[in-house]
Amino acid sequence: MPADGIAAASAPGRNSAPYEGLRGLLLVAAPIALVILLVILPTSAMVLGSFRVGDGFGADRYLAFFADAYSMANLRYTVFWTLASTVSALALSFGLALYLRFSTGRLAAIVHALSLFPLFVPAIIISYALVRFLGPNGLFQLLLEQVGITGYRTPYLTPIGPYIAFIWESLPLPVLVLTAGLTQVSDSAIEAARDLGAGAGRIVAEILLPQLQRPLIIAFALVFLGTIGSYTIPYLLGPPAPEMMGVYIARTMGNLQRPDEAAVQAVILLAIASVVGLIYIATMARAGRQ
Amino acid sequence: MFNRREFILTAATVPVVAASRAFAQDRKVLQVYTDGDTNISDWWNNVIKPAFEAAHPDLTFNLTITRGVADGNTTIGQRVMAAMQSNTDPQADYFEEFDPADVEGSIEAGLWTTIDTSNVPNLAMINPAATDLPVRLPYRGSQVLIAYDSAKVAEAPKTFADILAFAKANPGRFTYGRPDKGGSGSNFVIRAIHEANGRDPAAFTRENFDPAKAEEMLQKAWAVLQDLHPHTFGEGTYPAGNTPALQLLAQGAVDMIPAWSDQALQAINQGVLPDTVKVVQLQDLALCGGFAYSAIPSNATDHAGAMTLANFMLSPEMQVSCVREIGGFPGIGWEHLPPELKAEYIDVIPVSIPTFPSGDWQTAKNDGWYKNVATNLTRD
Repeated sequence: MPADGIAAASAPGRNSAPYEGLRGLLLVAAPIALVILLVILPTSAMVLGSFRVGDGFGADRYLAFFADAYSMANLRYTVFWTLASTVSALALSFGLALYLRFSTGRLAAIVHALSLFPLFVPAIIISYALVRFLGPNGLFQLLLEQVGITGYRTPYLTPIGPYIAFIWESLPLPVLVLTAGLTQVSDSAIEAARDLGAGAGRIVAEILLPQLQRPLIIAFALVFLGTIGSYTIPYLLGPPAPEMMGVYIARTMGNLQRPDEAAVQAVILLAIASVVGLIYIATMARAGRQ
Repeated sequence: MFNRREFILTAATVPVVAASRAFAQDRKVLQVYTDGDTNISDWWNNVIKPAFEAAHPDLTFNLTITRGVADGNTTIGQRVMAAMQSNTDPQADYFEEFDPADVEGSIEAGLWTTIDTSNVPNLAMINPAATDLPVRLPYRGSQVLIAYDSAKVAEAPKTFADILAFAKANPGRFTYGRPDKGGSGSNFVIRAIHEANGRDPAAFTRENFDPAKAEEMLQKAWAVLQDLHPHTFGEGTYPAGNTPALQLLAQGAVDMIPAWSDQALQAINQGVLPDTVKVVQLQDLALCGGFAYSAIPSNATDHAGAMTLANFMLSPEMQVSCVREIGGFPGIGWEHLPPELKAEYIDVIPVSIPTFPSGDWQTAKNDGWYKNVATNLTRD
């Protein structure tokens, strides 16, 4: 009987007894309560508060944000570099995943381990490491000069600095997702294509990519959402202006002590993240139905 | 008489509690609270404590580091205030790096001991620029200086104009930190504000902030800094803090930066910065800085002991240590310190220690800098 109970609880939709569903709900009650109390409630309060003007409501603060050239430059900068680093990370991890799908042996194992390594390195460590490595008179510049290449301009404190760090930091997730996706592509399909004379490019374009659509969207959403709100990397490696929204919000809140403006900036960032979040949820839901 | 081996063996076997109790019976233990950074609390534990115990065999202290816990020393100050009102033991004798004004109403309530030469004889030697409120004891200071690599910079800058001239003649070899991310960059920006407004720090007070007037005064400073912008490291890529700026200097990426006196001198002593790096104070108007204060509650558990510690901190011996160990400025006049020390630090001794008000002025300064200087957009 206990075995039946567990099976029933894990598949509540198929069980007609009402209390079994209730038991399932109880299991998730604590996390849901936490999410409602600590995430949804304060977020709703912030969104609502950001529209408060005097005693009524209005979009005044939002209009001020969109009219301010400095804020808009920060927003454009954030979206542009988040997209750029996300797409670059996906391209790199796609190559890595392809290699890991078709290679075996010790070298592949080492590459796999290396590609997951950034998962275990905190952002502040990689930031300072990159300052030492890519910074002015850093190791990279010294190596270049050893082989006679001069005129190196450091990416430190330019948009390229955080761009490199974002790619580095976000590589493991898409590698994991895409490797998992590629293992579902059957060897026989690829061999059949090969037998019919398809080259590597054609196999990727017509067999792998169509089957990887969903993992690609999921990986895109995960990397995009992880990058757009980042703080440490753009703070330490990026230029003073424009600022990533995460840095800008923290400065508006902490240094300038204008919580009202910080809330508006946060809601706008939340809105952009929500669009990508919705795409992610829709993709996952589609995956669940199939 | 004294068998060292036996003593060590005994000390090793006696439980710690018993040992510390025996210790406490021999000496009175003062409760000292510090809000200072690691370099300061290390200095108190490793240098001041043994020196104090040697000078006063009947006294010692227990240092509690309040940095980063709740409101630090302010929280302890509020408890001492509550203890005074309820007539209980405050379990506190001495506050280090603390401003009594932070505990609201405590000065008016008479919570803090008024310090004068009758209870702290060494106060006779104090630097007159440092004293203002008699309840706080200015025993050390730090100030922002110009740090430069003497191997690359032929002549040390003596004025603000010298820095601008150096930056323009040597593109990319000067930089300063973002003003909201650390005091070194912040006080350089403030120095530019002073430069553009008649070099008169007194023109800026917490009370005289007026948005329209501030905009006009700051705009003149933004013009100076916009002019400097293309000549700084990376053509306006300001590092994000005191340490990142020092790091650029250490890596030889720049030759001149504004830096905190204590951070720069300590980095040079520890070899983090090459020994060719020198520090200098501007002579036309110094960069801003300030003193760290101590205060003693009038209801201190061991008031006499606390006053002894205060007097000890102002002794020339401890003041020399403040300069040597933590790169701070002495609270007493330089004329009371060994002449060779003064000769060594002659370039950094300020004629004056200007300050800049907190509150609205700081906000206007930081926001204005981002919108006008960091972007280098001139606004009509």
